[in-house]
Amino acid sequence: MIPEPRADGLSPAAYRVVGRALPRFDVADKVRGATQYAADWQMPGMLVGRILRSIYPCARIRRLDVARARALPGVAVVLTARDLPRSGVEEDPTGAGLLRFTTPILADGVVRYQGEPVAIVAAASDASARAALAAIEVEYEPLPGVHDAEAAARRGAERVHEGRDNVFVHWKLRRGDVETGFRGAAAVVERTYRTQRVDHAYLEPEAGVAWVDADGVITVRASSQVIEHFRALAEILGLPHNRVRVIAPFLGGGFGGKEDMTVEPYVAALAWATGRPVRMVWGRDESLLARPKRHAFVMRYKTGAARDGSLLAQEISLLADAGPYPLLSPRVLFAALVVGCGPYRVPHVRIDARAVFTNNVPASAMRGFGAMQMTFAYEAQMDLIAHALGMPPAAIRERNFLRKGDRLPTGEAAGTYVALPELLRRAQDALGERSRPSGPTARVGRGIACNMQPYGRTVWFQDRASAWLGLEADGSLVIRAGVPDLGGGQAASLAQIAAEVLGVSVERIRVHVGDSALTPLAGGTFATRQLYMSGNAALRCARELRAEIAPVAAALLEAAEADLEFADDHVGVAGAPDRRVSLARVVAECSRRGVPVSRLSAFQGERSAPPDLDTGQGRTFPDYTYGCHAAEVEVDTETGETRLLKYAACHDVGRAINPQSVAGQIQGGAAMGIGQALGEEIALEAGVNLTTLFANYLMPTAPDLPDIQAIVLESGEGRGPFGARGIGEPPTGPPLATIAAAVADATGVRPLELPITPERVFRALAGRAGTKEGR
Amino acid sequence: MYLPPFRYVAPRTLDEAIALLREHGDDAKVLAGGQSLLPLMMLGLARPGVLVDVNGIPGLDRIEADGDAVRVGALVRHRAVETDPRLRAACPVLADAAPLIGNIRVRHRGTVGGSLAHADPAAEVPLVATALGATVEVRGAGGARDIPVHEFFRGYLETALGPAEVVTALRLPARGPRMGYGLAELVRRSGDFATVSACAVLGLDGGGRCTHAAVAIGGVGPSALRMRGAERLLIGQLPGDRTLDDAADAVRAEVAPESDVHASADYRRAMARVMARRALGAAVARAGGESRAAGPGAVRS
Ligand SMILES: Cc1cc2nc3c(=O)[nH]c(=O)nc-3n(C[C@H](O)[C@H](O)[C@H](O)COP(=O)(O)OP(=O)(O)OC[C@H]3O[C@@H](n4cnc5c(N)ncnc54)[C@H](O)[C@@H]3O)c2cc1C
Repeated sequence: MIPEPRADGLSPAAYRVVGRALPRFDVADKVRGATQYAADWQMPGMLVGRILRSIYPCARIRRLDVARARALPGVAVVLTARDLPRSGVEEDPTGAGLLRFTTPILADGVVRYQGEPVAIVAAASDASARAALAAIEVEYEPLPGVHDAEAAARRGAERVHEGRDNVFVHWKLRRGDVETGFRGAAAVVERTYRTQRVDHAYLEPEAGVAWVDADGVITVRASSQVIEHFRALAEILGLPHNRVRVIAPFLGGGFGGKEDMTVEPYVAALAWATGRPVRMVWGRDESLLARPKRHAFVMRYKTGAARDGSLLAQEISLLADAGPYPLLSPRVLFAALVVGCGPYRVPHVRIDARAVFTNNVPASAMRGFGAMQMTFAYEAQMDLIAHALGMPPAAIRERNFLRKGDRLPTGEAAGTYVALPELLRRAQDALGERSRPSGPTARVGRGIACNMQPYGRTVWFQDRASAWLGLEADGSLVIRAGVPDLGGGQAASLAQIAAEVLGVSVERIRVHVGDSALTPLAGGTFATRQLYMSGNAALRCARELRAEIAPVAAALLEAAEADLEFADDHVGVAGAPDRRVSLARVVAECSRRGVPVSRLSAFQGERSAPPDLDTGQGRTFPDYTYGCHAAEVEVDTETGETRLLKYAACHDVGRAINPQSVAGQIQGGAAMGIGQALGEEIALEAGVNLTTLFANYLMPTAPDLPDIQAIVLESGEGRGPFGARGIGEPPTGPPLATIAAAVADATGVRPLELPITPERVFRALAGRAGTKEGR
Repeated sequence: MYLPPFRYVAPRTLDEAIALLREHGDDAKVLAGGQSLLPLMMLGLARPGVLVDVNGIPGLDRIEADGDAVRVGALVRHRAVETDPRLRAACPVLADAAPLIGNIRVRHRGTVGGSLAHADPAAEVPLVATALGATVEVRGAGGARDIPVHEFFRGYLETALGPAEVVTALRLPARGPRMGYGLAELVRRSGDFATVSACAVLGLDGGGRCTHAAVAIGGVGPSALRMRGAERLLIGQLPGDRTLDDAADAVRAEVAPESDVHASADYRRAMARVMARRALGAAVARAGGESRAAGPGAVRS
């Protein structure tokens, strides 16, 4: 049963603006091509910036000579690591005091992955910038490097960094005693799963412009998920933090790929060195070659269950290929650790999650953030255990679903309603009648998969977001929030929230986002945190502002404050439609009385110490979003091709602030996961990237996908505004397992490795004769 | 990924175009639909200094059907091949192959002549032309000449075209009375080039025996290849399942593909067999004129 909505004590019908599929204010410009994306920015005297990238995955730089390049006509500056005040910022990528690391901005003496920046140039034209790159002389001494994550993790392996172990993070989770659990199990299933590296492949590749403002502030207007990088930029340039400003215009997608810095340090350094505006736009080939990817995971799972299907024990060992720098790997691995068992009750758990340095392209944040790869493994294990016990896949899940109040493997309780039984039913029902195979060699199969994905940062980061709201004299509203809008409607949802509380119509709200100098800081747009954090900040701010002006409106209307209604740009009295005053009139009265009509508020997320490092017990994420997907595929048993026939994706979003944006997130997230399940792979050969074109990096296109049915459930329980949960990342997880399950159902062979290419299925079918692989 | 600078000329006649090609030699390239040439230039894999745009030359975009024989002008777009009723009547196999090319945007621009001159081993027009034993009409400074397709394709992206020669048309032979064809391909993603493709053309006599057999496979070698061994197994035989299986097995043995990021050599070989078998099955059904024919269009797996 979905509980009655309880947020605010309001039932959905009582909301006027929240829950409506209003057109977002930013979309008309996008449709018309009028949005000024990062690469569209033009300034007088602007230079073109370019990066010289390493051609080798691992090499010593014997000589780097930029003299010839510097002397070329049109070349304003050529910079190497030696020319930067600091070539990187020392950070603790674990956030828990476990590691100190400085990731170089430019390679100094050694390159550790193919495409690593070695030098940067700014020139008057693209042609002269390219000529400068060609004129830089680099003498490399190629080294073999370390390219296999499992080999890199072994004792005695060649080291990526002198004096450092390749394994640089190892999270542990210990609960109960797995041996006891396995001893009592009626079925034990053990498998190893592998997921591949994939790219974010946003529409908008990395881009930005930097300039030095009249007041000496270095301003970077870049496609970025995190305007707070101004601090790191200031450190690199040896400037006070308040001398660097980052502006994030509307993004053409981020998906975690613009969470670490991209062009920012390069354009900032080039503008700082030349005093002129510098623009840098990466080509798709650069983006595919060298931007951090989703981690390739190797996941060993051992799962035990009782005869009735109850899970007893789960032992998991996870290894992630991080490439040569930590970036966000420790956090990715921590998220993977926490959800390793999926949305199920398991009494005995042991998980080891490690990340290892290699000389492969770096891996870092990507939508789903470690949690999504785990779905592939834990859901396959559920199917295999069900098969071993002779249970249907749905039944074993229903038996083990988490419920509100149950303990997670971290020892903390699931804090909000878990709608999985409803989600499972809705997703399965959505597939309708089973399709008939289209030919003699075709087999149709179906699969389901459930997941949980955290929203919000781990609580030990003590997350916080601010928002400023101000009413104008004409009754219109201004919102300022340092939120980068990635295209998911982050800015528009703030307007919708404020409109609900203050009664300003959304057309009369202007939202300023993403400027570290002019909008209050809100934290980056990642970790599915913006609706939760900034949405709450805007909601709180709107309520406080309303409370501030309500007495004034009440006085004007000679009514009790409790009877006031804020709607349609007016304040009125409940039950008396003709008694109302315009918001403009209320604002005028506020000015007369000296009552402020603007306000800055902050939302402070839960604060807690890191969990116990030996056992992983403690508080971790604020909350989770749950989902269930169902798919129907047809496999051609002669060729191994998989065609996706039907797909349904169902999530409990708590409360849909804008149902259309929610459906968009679900469809896009599912499409992203489907791409990873069936086709996408950044293929490396000894660290050399073979997939730097969309011609061989196989993202699905529209004709490859069926309609993705987005099914939105609203339990009313979530930690965001009006009981909303985050929905940015959650839909990417289930497709991997859903499609694998459907292929297994169709063919009798369970894919253990991604992507599920025709060739892999073909081989598995060919090899099946000799094995007794379960499904 | 930017186009390097180049000079652009748009001659109004073939002679002018040929003169320009002679004048600039290796530095010049014919520009037709631009769907292969421009991507190569964007990637820096081709750097012509001069582009000779032939799109404005009148007369190169005609489809002329003479009974069952067809002459397809070099500038005929793939989309026209797909939709022209006369061409479909005279040479349904080419009409059915056209929609397998890329996507609709590519087909509206890309040309038959460009496909032949570009000579991609996985392209459909060369595959069908190879299976049909078609003839390529070309013109150069020395005049016009006909090149049989098996002499035209020389290797990976290589043809017998001279430096100042232009493809003017593709000539397809007349269809015999009991001729049938089949097409099959394996494609990783809609709109992409085929990983492996097959085209089979069979002719039967009154007794149902195979009098003519042509099997071409694309994507497994430097250009589309005729499978002579498989063809020999078919000639003179009643094309039952066993015979077709044997022919398909022969295809598997006859191809020598290489591995790449999309497919291993082993898998390509196995798929050459599967695609050949599917194409042969469809060809037999069509040649028999029976209602269990593979239906309109190609088998695209
Ligand atoms: C996204 C995409 C997908 C594609 N998928 C497929 C596919 O699945 N199957 C397929 O077969 N093709 C595919 N193509 C290629 C497409 O079919 C091209 O149209 C074709 O290969 C070349 O034709 P064109 O007219 O565009 O030639 P151009 O690109 O203009 O020229 C190609 C080459 O041929 C030369 N040339 C062109 N015309 C002549 C002439 N008349 N005489 C002498 N030389 C000439 C040019 O100089 C150049 O070297 C795809 C292309 C794209 C962009």
